Amino acid sequence: MLKQAFLAVSAIAVLAGAPAFAAGAPSPSNAEVFIVWPSDGTVIQGGKFWLRMGLRNMGIAPKGVDVPNVGHHHLLIDTELPPFDQPIPSDRNHLHFGAGETEARIELPPGKHTLQLLLGDHNHIPHNPPVHSKKITITVP
Amino acid sequence: MYKQVFKVFKVFAVAALAAFLGFGGAIAGTTPSPDNAYLYIGWPNDGQVVAAGQPIRVWFGLRNMGVAPKGVQFPHTGHHHLLIDTDLPPANEPIPSDRAHLHFGAGETEAMVELPPGKHTLQLLMGDENHIPHNPPVASRKITITVK
Repeated sequence: MLKQAFLAVSAIAVLAGAPAFAAGAPSPSNAEVFIVWPSDGTVIQGGKFWLRMGLRNMGIAPKGVDVPNVGHHHLLIDTELPPFDQPIPSDRNHLHFGAGETEARIELPPGKHTLQLLLGDHNHIPHNPPVHSKKITITVP
Repeated sequence: MYKQVFKVFKVFAVAALAAFLGFGGAIAGTTPSPDNAYLYIGWPNDGQVVAAGQPIRVWFGLRNMGVAPKGVQFPHTGHHHLLIDTDLPPANEPIPSDRAHLHFGAGETEAMVELPPGKHTLQLLMGDENHIPHNPPVASRKITITVK
């Protein structure tokens, strides 16, 4: 009885969730985005650094370029992953690299900060499935 | 005496200027690159020794410029080319496509490469949407690695 209810709920969840999840361009199943530098736990004196963005089994294209298996980087600072069925917000916590950049000069105030990369398609919507890095934490003394 | 030296210098300067003007159209492609564009090989390092029989991953580092797939025209972008055991090709023609000039026209920012045992040079060169180097050309330092 309980199991049946659970199955019914998950079926509804899958049905309801699937169309919304599939909004972005398709990504290769082995695509991987990662932060090359800094590494998790790095202490950065002064808070200024070059962020190096890494991408494997996929390519970079500027915003608006609709070519298979490409996207552009977005850096999430001190925030969680946004909804995957909408364009990634553009604000101080969600930096867009729509000119195809693979490195960026970042400046952060003293404190602990989280960094995470999320690839967006030509419309800034995460891919299907979404391609995002591990969230790392850095410290600016 | 000084005047003569100056004269010689002047002749040289004029010749240099003529050469510059003469080849101005030929020394590079027509797609402008930012002055501060910086291309480098993030890994391997110059002088690195790597094990034979297994591919290595080459990281493409690029600052102050972006990546775009071939055929895409977008200001201040290009795509990576990895030159292996060769010198820079002519800067006013499409970069050759062969075993010594690998193209990354899908916007890749790293590559797996397997090289035979021995010393090898690696160098990156950006190409525009037509595979022609930018003006001025954006190339990395040439590094040497040893596979053994």
